[in-house]
Amino acid sequence: MADEEVIMEVQAVRAVYGDDCTVLNTYPPHLHVHIKPRTANVSSQQFVEAAIEIRANPQYPSDPPDINVIWSKGLDEERLKHLSASLHDKACELTSCLMLVALCEEAVERLSVMNHPHGNCPLCLYPLVTQVEQNESLPFMKLMSCFHCFHSECIIRWWKWLQLQNDSNGENSTGTVQSSASKTNQHDIMGNCPVCRKVFHDKDIEHAIKLAGSCSMQKDLAEEEACESASLLQWDLETSRQQKFETILQLQKESGGLIEARKDGVLFSGIVLPELVTDSRTIEQQGKDQAAVEDPESSGSSNRAHKTKQHQRFRQGPTEREPHGSSGGPPPSQRRNAGTGKYYRKTSRPRTQQWIKKEKP
Amino acid sequence: MTSSSAPSRKALSKIAQNRLQKELVEWQVNPPVGFKHKVTDNIQRWVIEVNGAPGTLYANETYQLQVDFPEHYPMEAPQVIFLPPAPLHPHIYSNGHICLDILYDSWSPAMTVSSICISILSMLSSSTTKQRPADNDRYVKNCKNGRSPKETRWWFHDDKV
Ligand SMILES: [Zn+2]
Ligand SMILES: [Zn+2]
Repeated sequence: MADEEVIMEVQAVRAVYGDDCTVLNTYPPHLHVHIKPRTANVSSQQFVEAAIEIRANPQYPSDPPDINVIWSKGLDEERLKHLSASLHDKACELTSCLMLVALCEEAVERLSVMNHPHGNCPLCLYPLVTQVEQNESLPFMKLMSCFHCFHSECIIRWWKWLQLQNDSNGENSTGTVQSSASKTNQHDIMGNCPVCRKVFHDKDIEHAIKLAGSCSMQKDLAEEEACESASLLQWDLETSRQQKFETILQLQKESGGLIEARKDGVLFSGIVLPELVTDSRTIEQQGKDQAAVEDPESSGSSNRAHKTKQHQRFRQGPTEREPHGSSGGPPPSQRRNAGTGKYYRKTSRPRTQQWIKKEKP
Repeated sequence: MTSSSAPSRKALSKIAQNRLQKELVEWQVNPPVGFKHKVTDNIQRWVIEVNGAPGTLYANETYQLQVDFPEHYPMEAPQVIFLPPAPLHPHIYSNGHICLDILYDSWSPAMTVSSICISILSMLSSSTTKQRPADNDRYVKNCKNGRSPKETRWWFHDDKV
């Protein structure tokens, strides 16, 4: 009655993983299981996620099943390899035992160990988390939809920049593709992920807003500047340390003390802005003056609206395809070298997209 | 006057300086294949030698890219042009301007000089004819006051040629 045992085991997986488990076939078992690290109930502390496919043949469990990571978020190539190898080893180790639940647990275990952000901030290229002087690590945040992480300061600077560009474009009525996109959904869409271009919404950074508490992203610039004044005018290490500490305490309470203090000290993902007021003014000023700054160079055309539009242009795809639906995430070097030749579409697309030249009256 | 002028450029912001320093170090450790950064004392303007990839129309040819960084790099895209003589290519104008979307509206601050170089080389490598864009003469004439390609309104259309 081995078949029945196997069928019962599949039921067990379904019971444990609920909606995260999709049974494609009960016998021989073929499952997709969505795996999250153990801390995933605290969304700000989740940096990785994966889905695995377990496919057994009728000889299971004497033959171990095939296991593949079918998609993942936040995992670089190295960690993906590690995950696959661990699962494969586990399956071999448990040959001839019923192992479906054990394999899923192994995946959860591996992801929990690997649940930390990786590499450099894609905007400033400095490490997200520094090993040595963690007190000086800047707070960072991740976008919930793609798990790409940035220093809070860096992503917010970019976001503000986009706002300013959109505003000034609106005034000059020379809207670009980007500005018209964000105009239609101004309250919802906040921008695109600089790495994968996935649109991010308010909800993508809600967790960070909740944690930070003091300065809301939704406030307009003027309010924000006022809010940033006084003690927040400069990056105050002492304040930030204290905030980090409080966040850790809070998180430890929420997760039953599971979180290791040392690691989370730097994983504070609030968005209290250490940004200098002068800095954002400069940007704002620059945004407003932009036409004036650029136009003297183009003495031929004093008005942006008169600028010549162009012919055909080489169209590049998004900087990075998120490794959904593939088990191989791009290596960090490739991620940084966003927009490599793989996006070259012109040749593969018979109907060419065109930039044509148009003269405005 | 050349097409490469950008006389009124503002100095780099502190953020831009830090970022460029970081890119420069990374470049020295791990330069993109086929490119050579010609060292100058000006971090705001990089001149980069490009070697056409073997097995492509541009094999054994060498060109020079000039990359100028704006005050708010990487929020703003750098200005990237070929110094004369520019390669003969359907998306490269004789004044060195390059019709490549990531240099203009599709720029993202997560891109780097290195990733730009790789995109440009891929654009060159995939070319099947050595010719100028159809509107080359008109475009170049319009640019003759030293206008930056970043001020061109590159207009995207889906329709046929
Ligand atoms: Zn950063
Ligand atoms: Zn992303």
